[in-house]
Amino acid sequence: MKTWICLLLAATAAGPHLGAEGTGTGAALRFEEVGAQAGLRHIHSTRRFAGKHADVLRMFTSGGAAAAVGDFDNDGLEDVFVTNSDNGMPNKLFRNLGGFRFSDVTAKAGVAGGNDPNSIVADALWFDYDNDGWQDLLVVRFGTPLLYHNDQDGTFRDVSSASGLDRFANTIAVIAFDYDRDGLLDLLLGHYFKDVNLLDLKQRQVLPDNLDNAHNGGGVGLWRNLGGGRFEEATQKAGLAEHSGWTLDAGHGDFDNDGHPDIYLACDYGTDRVFFNKGDGTFRDATTEALGGFDTKKGMNAEVADYNNDGFLDVYVTNITDEYMKECNMLWFNNGDGTFTDLSKETGTCDTLWGWGAKFADFDNDGWQDLYAVNGLRSAGEKNYIPVLFEMIITPDIDFSDVANWPDIGQMTWSGYQKSKLFRNLSGEIFRESSAQAGVDNDLDGRGVALADFDRDGRIDIYQTNADQPALLYRNTTTECGNWLALRLVGDPRSAWKGMRSSRDAVGARLSLSVQGQTLVREVQGGNGYSGQSSKIVHFGLGAAQKVDSLQIRWPSGRVEAVEVPLNSFSTILEGKGLVRKMPAETSDGRD
Amino acid sequence: MPHLNRLAIPLLAVALCAALSAADAEAEYQAALQALQSKNYSSALDHFEAALKVAPDSLKYGSEYRMAVIQAESYDRAIGFLEELAEKHPRAAHLHLNLGFAHVDKIPAAGSITQVLLANAALDHFTRSLEVSPTWIGLYTRGNSYLFWPKIFNRTPLGIADLEKALQMQRKQSPRPHHARVYVALGDGHYKLDDLKKAKEIWAKGSELFPNSRALQKRVGSNGDELEELIGQGYNPNLRVDTDLKELWSNQ
Repeated sequence: MKTWICLLLAATAAGPHLGAEGTGTGAALRFEEVGAQAGLRHIHSTRRFAGKHADVLRMFTSGGAAAAVGDFDNDGLEDVFVTNSDNGMPNKLFRNLGGFRFSDVTAKAGVAGGNDPNSIVADALWFDYDNDGWQDLLVVRFGTPLLYHNDQDGTFRDVSSASGLDRFANTIAVIAFDYDRDGLLDLLLGHYFKDVNLLDLKQRQVLPDNLDNAHNGGGVGLWRNLGGGRFEEATQKAGLAEHSGWTLDAGHGDFDNDGHPDIYLACDYGTDRVFFNKGDGTFRDATTEALGGFDTKKGMNAEVADYNNDGFLDVYVTNITDEYMKECNMLWFNNGDGTFTDLSKETGTCDTLWGWGAKFADFDNDGWQDLYAVNGLRSAGEKNYIPVLFEMIITPDIDFSDVANWPDIGQMTWSGYQKSKLFRNLSGEIFRESSAQAGVDNDLDGRGVALADFDRDGRIDIYQTNADQPALLYRNTTTECGNWLALRLVGDPRSAWKGMRSSRDAVGARLSLSVQGQTLVREVQGGNGYSGQSSKIVHFGLGAAQKVDSLQIRWPSGRVEAVEVPLNSFSTILEGKGLVRKMPAETSDGRD
Repeated sequence: MPHLNRLAIPLLAVALCAALSAADAEAEYQAALQALQSKNYSSALDHFEAALKVAPDSLKYGSEYRMAVIQAESYDRAIGFLEELAEKHPRAAHLHLNLGFAHVDKIPAAGSITQVLLANAALDHFTRSLEVSPTWIGLYTRGNSYLFWPKIFNRTPLGIADLEKALQMQRKQSPRPHHARVYVALGDGHYKLDDLKKAKEIWAKGSELFPNSRALQKRVGSNGDELEELIGQGYNPNLRVDTDLKELWSNQ
């Protein structure tokens, strides 16, 4: 019934006005947590270590609760793969049955593995690496990656050994993007620790050497897709090998609107970096001029979106802001000239406590992308770890990198019981924190955020993973919301355009939608945001607008096409062919 | 008489040397100010350091030196120089104070963990200063510094104790405008311990004695979120704390 209300209001909203606060209703965002009844209540477990540094290592590796959204069976419904991290604990694949019901199909799919005595699962990604039209799965680990080929019958085949993805690294993040625009999705892996096996520790100096400006992290690994299921490492060749920070997340987007995907790296212990794609298979480190130098913050999340509808992609990075540390997040406003300005304070998005994953989406379809951010490191006993840690930090000449110097955390809490934040975007200039009103102010130890319209009702839902705690599924029940469009883009890798090609997933495709005097820009993303891959279906909220003035797609190949699509429905667009399929929104919520 | 002469000559020499040294220090200080006017920071810092080498315990030279350091953003140079000087002059209370302030001055330019290390080091130097000579400025400074620490570290009561001693000390002196600061900080300390009533009493008492203090007026006139914001901003580690001690010698 709620879906009907939403659609009815969208259809009858008086007059087109995609202005301040979109629909002009000022309606509240509303969500309902339905994880248990939906069958999506996965409980993550962090890795437990053996030996005398077990406690500290567990604490430092507690970031691997991740979720990846993708339609693995091509039934039009977004499915969820969710990770686990403790030894022998299974990852899970949940098939979306519609109506907010999910079925655990892990056993049949054969994708439970990855947590063994030498490896810890930390993130996952759906991408069609071989352009066969079926989503394949990459599971990255503190270890070597696992690449699963989708055999198109609900089962997956481990093709890791043949793929060339064989380098050991402590990988915590992964995105797929086509940096050389050859029509094959490449991989950028974010490595946290340097490449030592934490599960078989041979040296104690494995932790950050400086807590504000560390340079002994794992950096990144760029893997070029050669086709035929093979990848080769291109980190050095592409100019990314100098980065030695503690990478926690990577985000891609065409920041300078030149058609080539650029990169933002969010790093713990300082040193976030931005790299501009030179268009020749290499990148230029533009951190100093673009960001005004290197930061000292604890970057966790790199989300890319045009939050103010000015046609340039901005970046949102979460850091740590708590009683004892006042870093403030960074909302990098894209100045359009290759530089960014941090407007987190001005926009009201500075403080999300100990931040982790954060994602933009237009939850009320008012034309402005809102922001959901999860947080909290460790919620445990009453005793606080900070004073204990403080004694270590102020010890003269202490070596922070020595794992033996860090005190055990035991049952102590460290920045725990923090409430998630939902920021409603008020016309691109300021955000209003609305988590309690919206019903999403949970105090779990959040890690990843994966967004999708799971029930295809035109409203973006939220899946939140939590470390050592159950995941949450928030169904968007906002009643007064605007019109919308949902677009699945399918690139044509066989057809070159001025020497460039699009991957079938069309990651990097840019959509520019003109409505009521504004241009809304989106890009098809390949896994931006910490520990959470959102749907590749592109969603536009349109407010009360009854029609779209124009919709232009710039494919990764460079081909530009104008398309017409119906409002309030899901459309599939094929490169070179335009609209090939439209499906109306689901008109039942499965309960009525 | 010959004995007296033998004694008087060296004493005269020492006095003369001291006078000459003081003159040298002042000349270096004046040269530093001139260099500063022309924004020649490198030269200004050289002259300030030369002055401090002659007069290491000068609160004024040290304070002006640090103000120049802030403009030049040469925080590590100042810390290094003052640390070296403090090792040579361990009994120079004001030198330890300025060394502590040099750490405080760097805090807004540092990362969050380095901020903690700097703040803690500053406290150590303020304590050294008080061990040498328990001055009003030393007590106020350390007491106020404790208030910057989050509640979790339980340092606010230590700050209140220092500020109470500073208050006792200033009561024995003729009132000076900077004495209002103790009332501000002491009230803030009680506010941080959730004793709003006591905080308001102290601010009100201070306001009676120092009616021109805007900081006290604001606190007396603010309540609820406005007061919370006022206090919060006052102890934000990312905002520069005014450590210019000029007030001490310009408001006699």
